[in-house]
Amino acid sequence: MTLIPNSETDAAYVIRNAASEGKKLALCGGNTRAGFGNAAEPAEMVSSTGLSGIVDYEPAEMVMTVKAGTPVAEIEAALAANRQMMAFEPMDHRGVMGTLGEPTIGGVFAANVSGPRRFVSGAARDSLLGIRFINGRGEPIRAGGRVMKNVTGLDLVKLLAGSHGTLGFLTEVTFRVLPVPQTVETIVISGLDDAAAAKAMAAAMALPVEVSGAAHLPQTVRFRFLGGGLPAGEATVLRIEGLDASVAVRAEKLAAVMEAFGPVSRLGLEESQTLWRQIRDVYPYSDGTLKPVWRVSIAPSAGHQLVAALRLEAGVDAFYDWQGGLVWMRMEADPEAELLRRYIRALGGGHATLMRASDAVRAQTQAFEPQPDAVAALSARVKQKLDPAGIFCPGKMG
Amino acid sequence: MQTNFTLAQLADPHVAESEQILRRCVHCGFCTATCPTYVTLGNELDSPRGRIYLIKDMLENGRAADEEVVTHIDRCLSCLACVTTCPSGVDYMHLVDHARIHIENTYRRPLIDRLIRNLLAAVLPYPARFRTALGFARLGRPFAPLLKRASALRPLGAMLDLAPRSPARASDSAKPGTRIPEAGKRGRVAILSGCAQPVLDPGINEATLRLLARLGVEVVVPEGEGCCGALVHHMGREEQALDFARRNVDVWTREIDKGGLDAIIITASGCGTTIKDYGHMLRLDPAYAEKAARVSGLAKDITEYLSTLDLPRLEPKRLNVAYHSACSMQHGQKITMAPKNLLKAAGFTVRDPGEGHLCCGSAGTYNILQPEISAQLKARKVRNIEATKADVIATGNIGCITQIASGTAIPILHTVELLDWAYGGPKPEKIPAR
Amino acid sequence: MADTIRFLKPREAVLSRRAAIIADLTDLLPPECLVHEARELVPFETDAFVSYRRLPLAVALPKTTAQVAAVMKYCHRYGIPVVPRGAGTSLSGGAIPQEDAVVLGLSKMSRILEVDYANRTATVQAGVTNLNISEAVGIDGFFYAPDPSSQLACTIGGNIGMNSGGAHCLKYGVTTNNLLGVKMVLVDGTVIELGGKHLDAAGYDLLGLVCGSEGQLGIVTEAVVRLIAKPEGARPVLFGFDTSEHAGACVADIIGSGIIPVAIEFMDKPAIEICEAFAHAGYPLDVEALLIVEVEGSEAEMEAMLKAIVEIAGRHGVKTVRESQSATEAALIWKGRKSAFGATGRIADYICMDGTVPLGKLSYVLNKTSEIVDRFGLRVANVFHAGDGNMHPLILFNANDPEDAARAEEAGNEILKLCVDAGGCLTGEHGVGIEKRDLMRHQYSEADLNQQMAVRSAFDEDWILNPSKVFPLDGRPAA
Ligand SMILES: Cc1cc2nc3c(=O)[nH]c(=O)nc-3n(C[C@@H](O)[C@@H](O)[C@@H](O)COP(=O)(O)OP(=O)(O)OC[C@H]3O[C@@H](n4cnc5c(N)ncnc54)[C@H](O)[C@@H]3O)c2cc1C
Ligand SMILES: Cc1cc2nc3c(=O)[nH]c(=O)nc-3n(C[C@H](O)[C@H](O)[C@H](O)COP(=O)(O)OP(=O)(O)OC[C@H]3O[C@@H](n4cnc5c(N)ncnc54)[C@H](O)[C@@H]3O)c2cc1C
Ligand code: SF4
Ligand code: SF4
Repeated sequence: MTLIPNSETDAAYVIRNAASEGKKLALCGGNTRAGFGNAAEPAEMVSSTGLSGIVDYEPAEMVMTVKAGTPVAEIEAALAANRQMMAFEPMDHRGVMGTLGEPTIGGVFAANVSGPRRFVSGAARDSLLGIRFINGRGEPIRAGGRVMKNVTGLDLVKLLAGSHGTLGFLTEVTFRVLPVPQTVETIVISGLDDAAAAKAMAAAMALPVEVSGAAHLPQTVRFRFLGGGLPAGEATVLRIEGLDASVAVRAEKLAAVMEAFGPVSRLGLEESQTLWRQIRDVYPYSDGTLKPVWRVSIAPSAGHQLVAALRLEAGVDAFYDWQGGLVWMRMEADPEAELLRRYIRALGGGHATLMRASDAVRAQTQAFEPQPDAVAALSARVKQKLDPAGIFCPGKMG
Repeated sequence: MQTNFTLAQLADPHVAESEQILRRCVHCGFCTATCPTYVTLGNELDSPRGRIYLIKDMLENGRAADEEVVTHIDRCLSCLACVTTCPSGVDYMHLVDHARIHIENTYRRPLIDRLIRNLLAAVLPYPARFRTALGFARLGRPFAPLLKRASALRPLGAMLDLAPRSPARASDSAKPGTRIPEAGKRGRVAILSGCAQPVLDPGINEATLRLLARLGVEVVVPEGEGCCGALVHHMGREEQALDFARRNVDVWTREIDKGGLDAIIITASGCGTTIKDYGHMLRLDPAYAEKAARVSGLAKDITEYLSTLDLPRLEPKRLNVAYHSACSMQHGQKITMAPKNLLKAAGFTVRDPGEGHLCCGSAGTYNILQPEISAQLKARKVRNIEATKADVIATGNIGCITQIASGTAIPILHTVELLDWAYGGPKPEKIPAR
Repeated sequence: MADTIRFLKPREAVLSRRAAIIADLTDLLPPECLVHEARELVPFETDAFVSYRRLPLAVALPKTTAQVAAVMKYCHRYGIPVVPRGAGTSLSGGAIPQEDAVVLGLSKMSRILEVDYANRTATVQAGVTNLNISEAVGIDGFFYAPDPSSQLACTIGGNIGMNSGGAHCLKYGVTTNNLLGVKMVLVDGTVIELGGKHLDAAGYDLLGLVCGSEGQLGIVTEAVVRLIAKPEGARPVLFGFDTSEHAGACVADIIGSGIIPVAIEFMDKPAIEICEAFAHAGYPLDVEALLIVEVEGSEAEMEAMLKAIVEIAGRHGVKTVRESQSATEAALIWKGRKSAFGATGRIADYICMDGTVPLGKLSYVLNKTSEIVDRFGLRVANVFHAGDGNMHPLILFNANDPEDAARAEEAGNEILKLCVDAGGCLTGEHGVGIEKRDLMRHQYSEADLNQQMAVRSAFDEDWILNPSKVFPLDGRPAA
């Protein structure tokens, strides 16, 4: 059964009751993530979809407050009407996960979902200014506020962002938005292997041209983008956004430097928008299969080394976002969690999250990166302080 | 910030002045960042803000100085980087002067320390004694490592290390008299011969005299002038310092009355800072206050004075000069651009070493009294200078010249030596042949 | 000394063991790393919130993470409070000690450990100053973005402690948005690492929690921070207005138009005069309010942005517009702004408020602020980060007059409440410290505060880390 409270008071009541009875709850929004996280203990679902609607939107102040169950689509439409956007580019993962339904803004922040711009403009958690949530005692709690700068007390906002429904039930979120850039252009460098691409991307990021997207699309995935419309060879793509006048100048400058690495071509506004949306949504692996998909965050210069090392021992296909620091990997068969995580550690650390896999594989695989003992113990203590009875999605993150 | 003095305490003009200085400090901590001892030792007690606080506590409680306070005040270089940094205009210079006097009056130093300080105060300000002492020092050099092993004697070891390897030439640049320029007369100035500089490097004032003569400036080396008093002043020996000051004020006042002076030229910025402060030092002496203020007003660093003469621009020379701004120049006298502009106009390529605000560790007798910190600062300074890949180093203070020369193979000269050469003087011996 | 703000009663069990504690610390640390002589403790009794002072029990200045861990382990075992200290530039009293506390200063850990341009990161010890990082990477075309006005002196550890911001944070975000990882010593001496050169944490965002935790969750000994390529050019422009309201409204309009400059700073007349006297930056002296707006990027981009901004300013009756013409001039303009608080010391003592308000409320709050200050018979200078609504009224007073000091404190409290009531918060970047601790209930409900305190307890069950700060002294969880 799914409980759908339609006020904060109701939600608090539901949770307070569950806590007193020691009943486990699985928190969700649109539940489009079905099949993500560790296989959790069976629990009753509590959905935020009953808490929907924009509470306050001041385009001039670039701040929006909405109820947690508001569909992402509704928010994006309201923002688009004012030529604004969420800078962190939340992904739509329904394709890759093969799920249906309506993603909610609460789910976006609860999962700290961020797209290609993350490595320069910050993650979802960086845009999140304030929240209301119900803790595991059933108490409504407010954290943060609606102003950009706020260091009043402990930053529970960050803590709840990315907590995947294990610390509290979000009822309302306030976040910062930004103007949509006037225009977008993409520089494509063709024919670079992964290592050369890493060098090229690092060089681009060192230039004063404000690259806002840097991805590398190897041969195996390149044809999936833009309907196969990218030039032949591997594609290393760099995005430039901003005022018309300035994009032209910066793209020119960037292209000139990148020519030293390989043949350069350029994509205009519409193609750019499509391309970066496809990168954001992991389009190549939206393949209707249940082949294991990993999302790896690692130092940008180490991403390609990780893939090269894995290739020697496992069937793996990969492409890179965030200058090489975000590696999307699809495994042919076995998820190879042990191997993958060992290499990540050897390459200076990072984390791998299993995004997709068959139920059988999920049952045997840690979806989230296991943490060192001291940090895991600390995290457990933190969870205990928000959810003393351990009723929220037990087992999901640890 | 808040202060706690009784009216009785404030009746003492020194205390009253310090109170006003302390009131301005807002405890923002900016000054810690540019203080050479803080960046070296990482302890707030060895920072300006820490020292200000120690001094405040000592003065407010009307307490005699004690070992702790003395340790941290002694470590202060008096480089005055903190004064440049302080947005609030805290006059740390006069505060620490007051503290040093208070220490000298209320604290009995350990015997060895006392002996060394007495020795320095009795020798350095007097050229004849200093010259003799240097002779002994050369003989004593083999013992330096031995002395440095006993911590109380380390200053003596440091002293031996600093003595130049070969005796300086005898020079008549300090001989009293008036030098009439070859052609025309654009001005009349007095020049300070000083105490240690003519012994260590007479070439500096020789170059100054040549250059000024060529530029048509009449220069007087007055009879009876001596040490500016900075050395003893920084040891807190107020009476001795004031005696030096009074004597020089008398000498220059005589010259002013005689033929008028456009400036009193100083070629060692350490002395310049003190002479420019005579007005303040003697402000409570009714017989001298006015005269001293006039002298201070006339005191000019040689580069300040040269900047008023509109020297012609010369063809670029292919010589990279790292300009090291002495603390007494940039912080004490706030002269930052003039020396570099003169060097550039004379055709040199001027490079600014990194961390230019940090002291080289010379600081008067500091390299003798605090050899460890001084050595670390010297190493840091040399690293920064060598990173500029300069051919020569220019600076405006004899202390820095001695200190830096002992740490690098790059030749170091006084700015005026390069200028003299550029404007027709002989090529300084230290410049490498190419 | 002002004395309305209380500290925790010193733990008798600690005070009575003072000599033994110092003897034990002497075993744990090299001699130059421990300060305990009564006279030498005095300079550590306060930070830049100089109205309040407390002597510590001792000061430890460790040189390594291992020494920090040893001190923490020891203090934890005996229940000795610990107050972390960076450069002691906190304006909220965050680094002020207490009689039973060991101050743990990071000033001897001030090395830059690694600069990694391929990954655009710098790994530094906690005692490195903010500006040192930008200076170290500047010649290679990079910088570290958050730039508190105190950047010359304040440390990265302190920046993390307070989640510090600065003028250029309008575009680049504050500390938490530029911090990738820390090495940290927990209260019991355990050393952990959070984050690293990769983005986003595995598991809970403990890094986000630590940033801004005012030294209450652990001692940061190293940090990995993000470097950014320097823009091609940057140009501050001065806009002078006849009234503060016009300037405030102009700020809201600039942001509302979708233009986000790198910085929008506000100064009122008293602040302009103070800063000009120190920096000689050429600020106009014949206006009531001044905005420093900085744009950056290519020449074309700066031109386009400036054109739009000048037009908006025109609608608000701007009186003078002056573009900086050279790098030297730009540096002076910023030097003046960044020295504003210190320079205020030339004319009076001050306490600096730090509330943030929604941009639409800027003018309203400015007006109300002067009303409040007038009512208390005090003077105020305003100089602040207008682009993100982070206000810094400097309330001027005479610290040698206890009544004046008390009035200043009261006026400050009213102003902060005003900010909260206008939809903002008590502190935008300086932290709660002791200064705003007792106002926390004005912004948060009992449940909100209890939740924060509970999370704090997860890190430090006995509350020995910086215990007198942030949370009101009554109503804390029992250990
Ligand atoms: C393949 C895939 C890719 C993804 N990619 C990313 C990614 O790149 N980065 C990333 O950070 N996340 C990612 N996610 C997480 C994803 O769940 C979000 O994309 C989110 O938008 C889903 O919205 P929803 O309303 O359907 O949430 P749901 O699917 O209902 O829930 C998503 C998560 O958020 C929690 N949650 C939802 N609502 C609330 C609430 N009101 N209060 C508390 N917790 C709540 C749930 O417990 C669950 O853990 C991905 C998920 C999948 C399956
Ligand atoms: C003139 C002036 C201007 C200022 N301008 C700004 C500004 O523009 N923006 C801004 O945000 N702030 C500003 N500040 C405030 C202050 O500089 C910042 O809060 C700064 O980050 C403090 O750094 P610090 O090294 O001095 O830390 P401290 O003041 O020593 O400590 C600050 C807090 O952090 C904790 N802490 C310190 N080091 C560590 C560590 N290693 N591990 C854990 N906790 C630690 C302390 O316990 C304390 O709670 C200004 C201050 C002054 C005096
Ligand atoms: S910079 Fe000036 S005001 Fe600030 S602490 Fe130092 S002396 Fe005091
Ligand atoms: S004079 Fe120099 S050494 Fe002394 S406190 Fe000031 S900056 Fe430090």
